Amino acid sequence: MAKDLLKLLLILIALVFIQVFILNGMKINGYINPYVYVLFILILPFETPGWVLLVCAFILGLVIDSFMNTLGMHSSATLFMAFSRQFLLKIISFRNDNDSKGFLTLGNFGFVWTLRYVAILVFAHHFFLFFLESFSFSSFFPTMGRIILSSVFTIFFILLAQYMFARK
Amino acid sequence: MRTLLRFIVRYQFVLIFLLLEGVSIWLLASNNFYQRAAFGNITRGISGNIYRRIESATKYLRLNDANEHLLRENIVLRSRLAQLTVHLEEYSHLAVDTSYDKGFIFVPARIISNSVDKQHNYLMINVGRKHGVAEEMGVVSSDGVVGIVTAVSENYATVISLLNIDLKISARVKKNRYFGSLYWNGKDYRQVVLSEIPNHVLLTKGDTVVTSGFSSMFPADLLLGTVREVDKSLGNFLNVTIDLAEDFRKVDHVWVVKKYN
Repeated sequence: MAKDLLKLLLILIALVFIQVFILNGMKINGYINPYVYVLFILILPFETPGWVLLVCAFILGLVIDSFMNTLGMHSSATLFMAFSRQFLLKIISFRNDNDSKGFLTLGNFGFVWTLRYVAILVFAHHFFLFFLESFSFSSFFPTMGRIILSSVFTIFFILLAQYMFARK
Repeated sequence: MRTLLRFIVRYQFVLIFLLLEGVSIWLLASNNFYQRAAFGNITRGISGNIYRRIESATKYLRLNDANEHLLRENIVLRSRLAQLTVHLEEYSHLAVDTSYDKGFIFVPARIISNSVDKQHNYLMINVGRKHGVAEEMGVVSSDGVVGIVTAVSENYATVISLLNIDLKISARVKKNRYFGSLYWNGKDYRQVVLSEIPNHVLLTKGDTVVTSGFSSMFPADLLLGTVREVDKSLGNFLNVTIDLAEDFRKVDHVWVVKKYN
């Protein structure tokens, strides 16, 4: 248990570092920005209590926000994602009960399940985030384009990271 | 009580989510300039509409006062007109110079909400972008300066009142043209403070204070008020208390000042 916590803490620090210092600087094609830090909320174990999940999401979002000077934006989007996660996990079925333990990663759950799970939540997060950023529906389709392209990159990076971890 | 507790325990996940999301949105709206402006635009549209309805219901009650005020103003303007027509004759033969300052245009407006009892008072007027109003335009009434437009939406504009401790405007003493900055100290809605007047300047009670005309927001020589009290205890500069000519509790018809260009 303590070992798991330490591991999570290290993952958290690494993710924030990668997000703030590497990914935020790379801006593919001008305005596509992958937000890989949400990986932390995605892999938290199934049996994590709801309030821990929400508080983690809020704090993670605030940390990212304070680095990017967008106080409130990432925290509300990450919260929304954590909120959706709880309901999504009730809908997406597990193969058997033994699987519903441990981190929700590619290594534990297989590619198809993980792709579906990651894709839906990343899209929810980006949808919330980008519309909060533009704060209007008047430029709906350009914003939608940014959401989809950034989501694709985020999902790709998240699966890549998980693949590398799973091999170890 | 027990049912309330059971409700909280049962829906704790949703409640915590809503609470934290509320905190986030509040942080967002209070820290990010763009979102704050967009937020303000939405709420201004709604509150402007409500205030306009209330205003249109209550304006009849003030009709008498307003009439009298307009009559008095008419008399003053007529006498100015008479004076000026005399001069017009003299000047009509001069060549036309197009480089002179063309002055200001005024957009008439009505105040639909107003306050005098806070430290940061704001007014709302019933003209907006549609009527050519933009941010940083001055707002005056027939009795002096009212404030400066801070935010504009399609049909309404928010005006930072002269009775707002954050607003300073440039003013001067009419008789000797010494200028300083005029601000409200948040105490009495009938009095403002003129500061930065050098210590050696002689002022007496009743001296007129007018706008300086240094900014492009207000025309020069607009009446602001009269000197009430001079405080010399502050060292190099005088601290002058001014009786406002404008009664902010009654102000109703105003003009937005637009620089002519």
